[in-house]
Amino acid sequence: MSVPRARMLQLMKAQCQLFSTTFNPDGVRTGNKILRQRLRGPALAAYYPRKLVTIRDLQKEFASLDLFVEDEADEDRLEHIAALKARGKGAPKKKKEAAQKGGPRKK
Amino acid sequence: MSMFQRAKKFDLGCFTNIKVIRDHTKRKAFEATEPERQALRYIIRNTTLPARTRAIAQLQLTQMHNYTRPTQIRNRCILGGKSRGVLRDFKMSRFNFRMQALAGNIPGVKKASW
Repeated sequence: MSVPRARMLQLMKAQCQLFSTTFNPDGVRTGNKILRQRLRGPALAAYYPRKLVTIRDLQKEFASLDLFVEDEADEDRLEHIAALKARGKGAPKKKKEAAQKGGPRKK
Repeated sequence: MSMFQRAKKFDLGCFTNIKVIRDHTKRKAFEATEPERQALRYIIRNTTLPARTRAIAQLQLTQMHNYTRPTQIRNRCILGGKSRGVLRDFKMSRFNFRMQALAGNIPGVKKASW
């Protein structure tokens, strides 16, 4: 036994009212599926781990307690530069006055 | 435009090269503009709206900066910045994953043997 289509539509309408869904018997594209999607920006933006605490931060924090935090990597770097300079292989000093007078000016 | 440029303060705690920084910038740009993009996409998909409105929305969506496009985002290895062969679950390229797994640095991962 078949139910007339009008009756089925009535049923669908009542159903939609009850469960507060959209009554769309013709299947018109309303783009609601876009609105139903969740935002994935926060998950995507959290992919790479963020920098939390650096040695600089520790040094700043402990400076108020008169404690010194050692930064080994930075000390190694300074030592390396000092060694270079002792051999006369360091980076040249920046020119201040001479560059402005004689050198080519940047526009 | 400034939001699509690199962050003033360096905020990454993983391996970094320019490609990783760029990808991170794209992710942040996408996060910032995602509601706008979704709204435009809704207007475009909605066939009950006038055709002119939908065409304008299409134009606006295509004229957004390409850093705001989710397809520009690519998962990269957090230990080496490589873009290929990256395992999504561990965010690592296959070789880095192998090295870390063999060293026992990844909890619950064990080399299969039977």
